Amino acid sequence: MFGIGRHKRQFESSGDRGIEDRDRSGSEQAEASAGRGTFEAPGQTDSAAEREIVIELTDADYTYQAGGPFASAALHGVNMRVRRGTLVGIAGGTGSGKSTLLQLLNGLLLPTGGSVRVLDHTLLPGMKKPKLNALRRRIGLSFQFPEQHLFEDTVEKDLMFGPLNFGLPKEEAQRRAAEALASMGLGEELLLRHPLTLSGGQMRRVAIASVLAAGPEIMMLDEPTATLDSAARRELIALLARLCREEGRTILMVTHRIEELLEAADEWIVMHEGRAVFRGDADELADRADELAGWGVAVPEQLRCWAEWTARLPQLAALPLPRTADDMALRIAEAVRGAEISARSGNVRKPFGGAGSGPTHLLGEAGSGRPPAPSDKAESLPRAESVRRAEAETIGERGINVCATS
Amino acid sequence: MERKNAAAAELQNVEFEYEKGEPVLRDISLRAEKGEWIAVVGESGCGKSTLVRLLNALLRPRSGTVSVFGEELTERNAPLMRARIGMVFQNPDNQFIGETVEEDIAFGLEGLCLDLAEMERRIERYAHRLKIEALLGRHPGELSGGQKQRCAVAACLAMEPEIVVFDEATSMQDERSRRELLEVMRDMKRQGSYTVFSVTHDAAEMLAADRIWALKGGFVRADRTPDAFFADEELLGDCGIELPFGLRLERRLSALGAAASDGGAAETGAKQAGEGGYGRVRHRQT
Repeated sequence: MFGIGRHKRQFESSGDRGIEDRDRSGSEQAEASAGRGTFEAPGQTDSAAEREIVIELTDADYTYQAGGPFASAALHGVNMRVRRGTLVGIAGGTGSGKSTLLQLLNGLLLPTGGSVRVLDHTLLPGMKKPKLNALRRRIGLSFQFPEQHLFEDTVEKDLMFGPLNFGLPKEEAQRRAAEALASMGLGEELLLRHPLTLSGGQMRRVAIASVLAAGPEIMMLDEPTATLDSAARRELIALLARLCREEGRTILMVTHRIEELLEAADEWIVMHEGRAVFRGDADELADRADELAGWGVAVPEQLRCWAEWTARLPQLAALPLPRTADDMALRIAEAVRGAEISARSGNVRKPFGGAGSGPTHLLGEAGSGRPPAPSDKAESLPRAESVRRAEAETIGERGINVCATS
Repeated sequence: MERKNAAAAELQNVEFEYEKGEPVLRDISLRAEKGEWIAVVGESGCGKSTLVRLLNALLRPRSGTVSVFGEELTERNAPLMRARIGMVFQNPDNQFIGETVEEDIAFGLEGLCLDLAEMERRIERYAHRLKIEALLGRHPGELSGGQKQRCAVAACLAMEPEIVVFDEATSMQDERSRRELLEVMRDMKRQGSYTVFSVTHDAAEMLAADRIWALKGGFVRADRTPDAFFADEELLGDCGIELPFGLRLERRLSALGAAASDGGAAETGAKQAGEGGYGRVRHRQT
């Protein structure tokens, strides 16, 4: 379905950011290249700590119709910080405040308490509605029914609207339109079609492509994958992961399927009744899996399967959560073999036998580029930060491999 | 006039195009029996929604025939046949008409020229069945997505159709509402009085169906049971479908020999994986 050629084109397209860089101030350029720099050296896993914070909420509140008789609070004391180049998953049930949060971050709403900082803009309660054009140019927002913001009479015009509006020449806008469409897995023959003649799934992809075409530094996507087929979903998420890792873009994605984004997301925020009840990575999320239902969020398959297996093979509990089915199968196979060997030798205290090296070797062959994990002792496999981070770096790449072969 | 053992729906050599020279459906021949649940799957733009819109004559084929309950759909009988086919769409907001949920259900019933007592009886019965009694007096705008979709299903079922088409009805729902709606569909299946078509990208929904019609490039790519369908990885790839995580893990494990080995630990492990989530869905249906 999606050829490798398209991915290549997408890789090349990262060069077109030169134009944007020219418009920007020197310091911003330095920031942007710093963001990209961290990607170029994936070995330095702790550089994440040095990356600039692009979004910061401090005790942010938002109340609809504040002061009025129908005031209803949508957000209470939300604190969050997002560094450049991270992919953040936002989960939560209906009415938990996810969408309000995205609107605060784009300056569509001003906080009614606390502060919101996005890039170099700080939004405070009661301030005069600031001029945010410069900010909005750097943020791409896609709402829950993105197909509803298609309005031109051809797909191409729709895709060119953003770039033209931000002052790019026509040819450049055209080029970006074609690239954005290709990166969403759609063919060029659609460019001249009227958006309303597309199928539901195609419309949705065109709408997301229109956000990509504008080339924003920060992208906020409200359930972009709903109504896409599962291969297209995986493809979109692999693309988003690439935009983060390779181009240093920051992406916040609201989803009600944690499962689909668990592999790619660096961080998670779970919203419940207007509060950010959880902030952390997938491992921390796994630790609190039993609280998810209470927050109105379905437990993702990965966590459910992993919990089942760790209940059976307690030695697995010491491992970080494997993000992919392949990885999880390998860990389980290792543990099962270890258990068999110790059962045979009557040594219960040795959960991992030498047999574990077999599957690890297999993993290397699979070309995931991941360093083989030590498998002698459970103790040597703690929540090894470095391994996990290195894993995270290769996830985008692995996502592509999987898609290219499907 | 209506044959006794007629198919609920039958398409013969159906071709369809929206614009000249751009066929969307080509040479489609498919048959669904009464009481069957058919999942219609495929990549976006493959013609799934077009296909189900042919079934109630919202669209007409360019060539070939579409028959419902043994009767070929024509301009003349289309209005009558439509009364026997209910549709539930992706975005419930697009099909609400009434000021309250109750009014909305009544709207469809008025169209059937039922008397007041019968309308009240049906509203009560279907509101009860879909657990929306408490919502009857509410404005649709006050409801959550899942509640809205349940009301839309109630409005559809109250018209007592024999065929119900769900066109990606679960795709905009959050996880919990999706499960609820799937349970409603399973209930309908258990009652046995409906023939159900569900256009879907959701693996759980496909696994719950009796049969899967897969489209690719406007042609029928496959017409199989869910088990046979999910066993064919090439077919899944062609249809843009990825195995759900639980199944993928199960397959990887057996490929690694961890699940297939005769070691006691491994065997119970595999069994557990099989009993969880999707495995359960599959077994319940067989």
